[in-house]
Amino acid sequence: MDNNLINSTFRKSFGKSLLYALPMFLITFMFMTGGRLNFSDPMAVMATLIAFLLVNVLYFLMHYTGKTDRYRVVLFIIFALTLSYTLIKNMVEIRSSMSFSRSDILECKIPFCHLVIPMMILPAAFTKSIIFPGSILNGFANISSMVVLWLVATLVLGRGFCSWGCFYGGWDDGFSRMRKKPAIRKINEIWRWMPFAILFMVALTAALTLVPTYCDWICPFKAVTEFEKVTSVESAAKAGVFLSLFIGLVVVLPILTKKRTQCSFLCPLGAVNSLSNKITPFTVKIDKAACSECFKCVEVCPLFALTKEDIKAGKVSIFCSKCGKCVDACSKNAIHYGIKGVPAGTLKNFLRNLFLFVSFLFMAIFSAGAVISTLHSLLKLIF
Amino acid sequence: MFPYLMAGSAGVRRITIDLSLFLFTRFVVYFFLATLSWYFGQALFRNPLARNLVPGLLYIVFAIMLVWYSISNSRRNKCPAKIVTTVNDRRLVPVLLGVVNSLGFCPALFLILTKGATQGTLFQSYMAFFAFFVGSSLWFLPLPLAGKVRKKEVLKTIGILATGLAGIIFMIKGITNLIGGILNG
Repeated sequence: MDNNLINSTFRKSFGKSLLYALPMFLITFMFMTGGRLNFSDPMAVMATLIAFLLVNVLYFLMHYTGKTDRYRVVLFIIFALTLSYTLIKNMVEIRSSMSFSRSDILECKIPFCHLVIPMMILPAAFTKSIIFPGSILNGFANISSMVVLWLVATLVLGRGFCSWGCFYGGWDDGFSRMRKKPAIRKINEIWRWMPFAILFMVALTAALTLVPTYCDWICPFKAVTEFEKVTSVESAAKAGVFLSLFIGLVVVLPILTKKRTQCSFLCPLGAVNSLSNKITPFTVKIDKAACSECFKCVEVCPLFALTKEDIKAGKVSIFCSKCGKCVDACSKNAIHYGIKGVPAGTLKNFLRNLFLFVSFLFMAIFSAGAVISTLHSLLKLIF
Repeated sequence: MFPYLMAGSAGVRRITIDLSLFLFTRFVVYFFLATLSWYFGQALFRNPLARNLVPGLLYIVFAIMLVWYSISNSRRNKCPAKIVTTVNDRRLVPVLLGVVNSLGFCPALFLILTKGATQGTLFQSYMAFFAFFVGSSLWFLPLPLAGKVRKKEVLKTIGILATGLAGIIFMIKGITNLIGGILNG
């Protein structure tokens, strides 16, 4: 049977889907246009309209087909690609290179990203200073705006940030979908705890050395954003580490395992976000009465958040990023979005609508700038 | 080993005395080690090539130890303080534990010996060991409560993974130092 038809609980009629999409339509229009379109630059208007249509069509389809992850991932991947493009473009425009120099560090010109946050906390508490050479209030990707955005999203969505807000996650999410079946199936569950080990290490070493050690030595996304100019054996070694981790954990392993291996085994912010899952209202629930224990959800979960034991116990682990892949895969609708305190199996549709509205709105608004900017550049290139 | 001593049936006063004796013994042993390692380093690192290469090599050895420690199953079986179980005088137990704990050839001790040996002055070596003493002593303070921790297995897993990771980082640092040392002559 077609999977679309199986998931009938979450499907809606065309008219009803339009009605549900209307608030998103209005809010994203306001955010993307600022209330008015500037017709003096037709390319910018066209880019804004294309981005606006893209997010709203995806949101409409989520309601119309009852599928979540299938449409989430489209915007998620576009977000990752366009953000990297925008970041690189800015870097090249400002300093004519993707690499940064010592003077860029001294002048605090390094764009900030949310992966630094776990390393900032201890040094900020003890020394009242921020150990990242970026701008606090001004310029592109400043520290305060990123911290506030991450904090709000994490408090509301928990690890949902990793699937609805992180502008890096789309990379390995995209690569993990390239094969139909995984070439590597057996992965020891012990590796799920690796991000916590990395978090422990980088938080401690950053506190001791007052250097964001993850950015300095580990971050694989240096390969698609910015990196230290190779001028010594040490900087060459760092570049080697960045590239190896990017190729290994963001490209090759996701293709072979069909899992988001960078998010699952490396990202220290993912560990923090996993802990935040304990306090956030939204969660994924397992309706044990409806579950047939086919374990399809365990198989498709990209973050190793579900095990057979979890399903038997009727609860998802702290690693869940609420991506919706298990929800889409469940033919019995036994896995669904929920809210803590509301019993599993109740208000499935209402809670899904509520979660989708909050999470998709966040992703749509957060990604809008990068998507519009990239489309604008592409249109200028074409016409 | 020491948690048993601290978490036994003794009162707070007894535990405080035992803990103080234990830490004092460690402090004295580290003082001697700082002196020894610095003089050893002075003798070894007079040659500029050795000064460049040896720290890199030592980092690599340290890294191998860390990785071995994280993957080896034998760490679960060995009791480094077996000798203590043969001591009858209870007052000697924390002192002996202090000595055994300080001299236990673990990756962290190896690292601080390397650091002590490469310091410019004896005072700097003392300071490095003092910082190591303070840092490593902190870990003993919450240990009496270890029995209360839930999900101990998870914490153990994270600890083992972090050890392996530190090993990999030191391996890269060691290789970098080594190549840098060779290139710089």
